[in-house]
Amino acid sequence: MAENNTIDALKNVFSESILHHEINAGDQCVVFVSPSQNTEILSWLREEPTQSYDLLVDVTAVDFGEGLPLQVVYQLWSLKHKNSLRIKCELEIENLTIKTVTSIWKSADWLEREVYDLFGVEFIGHPDLRRILMPKTYDEGHPLRKDFPLRGRFSRAEQTRRALSQDYHDYYTEEMLEIGGEPAVSSPKYDTDKGNAS
Amino acid sequence: MGLNRDGVNTQDIFEAQDMGYSGGHKGIEMGGGGPTFLTTKIDFVVNWARKNSLWPMPFGTACCAIEMMASAASNFDLARFGMERMSFSPRQADVLICAGRVPYKLAPVLRRTYDQMMQPKWVVSMGACASSGGVFDTYSMVQGIDTIVPVDVYVPGCPPRPEGLIYGLMMIQEKIREETLADHSELRSEDPDRAGLPEAGDEDISALSGPFGNSTQQEYLTGLAQTKRPDRPKDLLP
Amino acid sequence: MTHVSSIEPDIGSEHMLINIGPQHPATHGVLRLVCELDGETVIKVMPDIGYLHSSFEKLGEYRTWNQIVPLTDRMDYLAPLIYNCAYVMAVEKLMGLEVTERCKIVRVICMEMDRIFSHLLWLGTTAIDVGAFTPFLYAFQERERIYSLHESFTGARITTSATRVGGMMADLPDGWIESLKDFLDTVTKTLDEIDSLLTTNAIYLGRTIDVGVISGEDAINHGLTGPNLRASGVPYDLRKDHPYYDYETYDFEVPIGENGDCYDRYLVRMEEMRQSIKILHQAIDRLPEGPINVDDPRVSLPSKTDCMNDMESMIHHFKLITEGISVPAGDCYFAVEGSKGELGMYVVSDGGYKPVRWRIRPPSFVNLSVISKLAEGHLVSDLIMINASLDIVLGEIDR
Ligand code: SF4
Repeated sequence: MAENNTIDALKNVFSESILHHEINAGDQCVVFVSPSQNTEILSWLREEPTQSYDLLVDVTAVDFGEGLPLQVVYQLWSLKHKNSLRIKCELEIENLTIKTVTSIWKSADWLEREVYDLFGVEFIGHPDLRRILMPKTYDEGHPLRKDFPLRGRFSRAEQTRRALSQDYHDYYTEEMLEIGGEPAVSSPKYDTDKGNAS
Repeated sequence: MGLNRDGVNTQDIFEAQDMGYSGGHKGIEMGGGGPTFLTTKIDFVVNWARKNSLWPMPFGTACCAIEMMASAASNFDLARFGMERMSFSPRQADVLICAGRVPYKLAPVLRRTYDQMMQPKWVVSMGACASSGGVFDTYSMVQGIDTIVPVDVYVPGCPPRPEGLIYGLMMIQEKIREETLADHSELRSEDPDRAGLPEAGDEDISALSGPFGNSTQQEYLTGLAQTKRPDRPKDLLP
Repeated sequence: MTHVSSIEPDIGSEHMLINIGPQHPATHGVLRLVCELDGETVIKVMPDIGYLHSSFEKLGEYRTWNQIVPLTDRMDYLAPLIYNCAYVMAVEKLMGLEVTERCKIVRVICMEMDRIFSHLLWLGTTAIDVGAFTPFLYAFQERERIYSLHESFTGARITTSATRVGGMMADLPDGWIESLKDFLDTVTKTLDEIDSLLTTNAIYLGRTIDVGVISGEDAINHGLTGPNLRASGVPYDLRKDHPYYDYETYDFEVPIGENGDCYDRYLVRMEEMRQSIKILHQAIDRLPEGPINVDDPRVSLPSKTDCMNDMESMIHHFKLITEGISVPAGDCYFAVEGSKGELGMYVVSDGGYKPVRWRIRPPSFVNLSVISKLAEGHLVSDLIMINASLDIVLGEIDR
């Protein structure tokens, strides 16, 4: 799959926005594109019949630390042509925002939420961007960033206390509380002295 | 341990004879023609009934839960010990088997499940993760459920074999056998105000969950990772 | 609690919010589903995950390349060997390492065996969800046989950690292939029995046909892979479409469903187990003799004699043991057809002894995200069936 016509086609259509490309691990095509053009490029890749990358396999991110830009990675697969392609967008670590691709693929919904949760990348236009794996009240930051220590930022005692002091508002989103007939109240501030917020 | 016709553990009956005394020679052969009563201590009867009808509440989360399922399936058959009724509702359960990893997000659920169980209750911590965090010495994981709920028996292993779990449960039975009602008030006193709070104090939590060695070669102080990329001299040449 | 009373008087509200999980026997793990109900009809399902988030990916950045292998099987404890293999295959691909012929076939055997292993558990627990307990016991009987196969090969029943970069932890023990053959005989019979219990069972049909239907197009758009996608009629199977380890030379079929409902997902998995048995028979026949580990200085230790005799080998041995293997800079995405769908391993290296990033493309994470679409308009009991039919494993969803 090294002789992939995608790169040439991409360069023809989006000349400026295609920054550079690599062939990694033998035969895997990686194309770096400009983050401001990501939705245009990805939807073109999906719609264009000669490409038809119709399966968005994965959305993830890579943080290299040391202030290097963070990469958002889209892994695509074309069921028709049996081709795979990796698209990368590099974001400055101070400004982690990129447009969402949920309008193109529904599968991006949870995958982007996960990237937001673990890396703090904000996906503009995402319908429901909130933490997915960590609790709603998680305060320590975005765990998969390189500047995040393995054991978290707080002491174990503090982590335990915070975990156990959540009340029911922290388990439900505003939307759920509304359905349940409970007016959505902002969650009570954590009170260190009492140890239990409710 | 032999079982007699009525499924009563013979060892228990001999103990019963030791503890109290049976009314008549044939007292233990139920319906054998002799007097059909048995005098014994209430402790013994209560404990005997309790320990042979433990209803486990399976709090299974990860890999260990699969081994717990295997212990309930036909090859190991937990039902032999009076535990065939897995009680998925905490209010009808006696033993909480916490099998698997418990992240902080799940910790309140575990505590709540424990709080909802009726007294008397026991807790088995199955597997390395539940007992100590296991390999997951990370930001999201509870370092041992004994910081959250009191634990009676720890079953080591990753995962423990079903035999291991069964042995752990039999240790609970052993523990029950030695209990006495005289102590129950003290043993089982539970402060309702402490519901939902961690079991261990801050210092205990820090002591229990301190890092175990430094095998992962992260920077000890910052906790950050290094890949130890070798800087090859040729990379530095212009 | 005060909030209960504030809900109660509101009898006029027709919709009800109910919370299933995270500790619930029918959610197959610590999944939490918050549902909006109108009577017994599901209006909306809002899944809440993360109750088993054990931070595998972060932990991987602190482990050397070979130390990650034990983490992989703790992620999907239903098919541990597939995960072991997929991870090392990604690293080997990044290193440009070609494993030996015997190793390839041993790994194919491992992966197909664990596909059966995982599908059997799915079969048993799903049958419980519709009220049939017998298939669970039958399935566990067969699973016990795989447990002992695992155990005699790797020493552990579930957490196998059987692979290493460049080979396996050990070669197959004597007599293992014979036990595998025995297993293949019995599992075929058991499958037939379960087949006769479920496939034409009126209750089972009623509970599964036309429940949770998804069209092929939607399935692709939602990123479904594996049996769930194939049940909707899309013949996407990495073993055929992007073959690795000579899968193209094995004679097997990829079962395809038509309607994309729970029943088709069941049929597809049943047939997949049969096809795996077929592949296993072929793999056993072509298992060659020879070394199982590659002889490549980057990953394999020099022999003891060499270490004793010359300094270079000694240093090499020392470095491999203390620092671990180093992987050239770059990134690699490698996907295998796991039991739940496309299982991808994405590794990024900067040339060091540990990965910069280790990412798992989680098949059941993506498969689960479709549940709110599937369950809409069904009854609550169907929601349980739909959830079961997706074949999720929380260890890998939450990672
Ligand atoms: S102790 Fe081992 S087997 Fe058990 S949950 Fe933890 S990792 Fe899994």
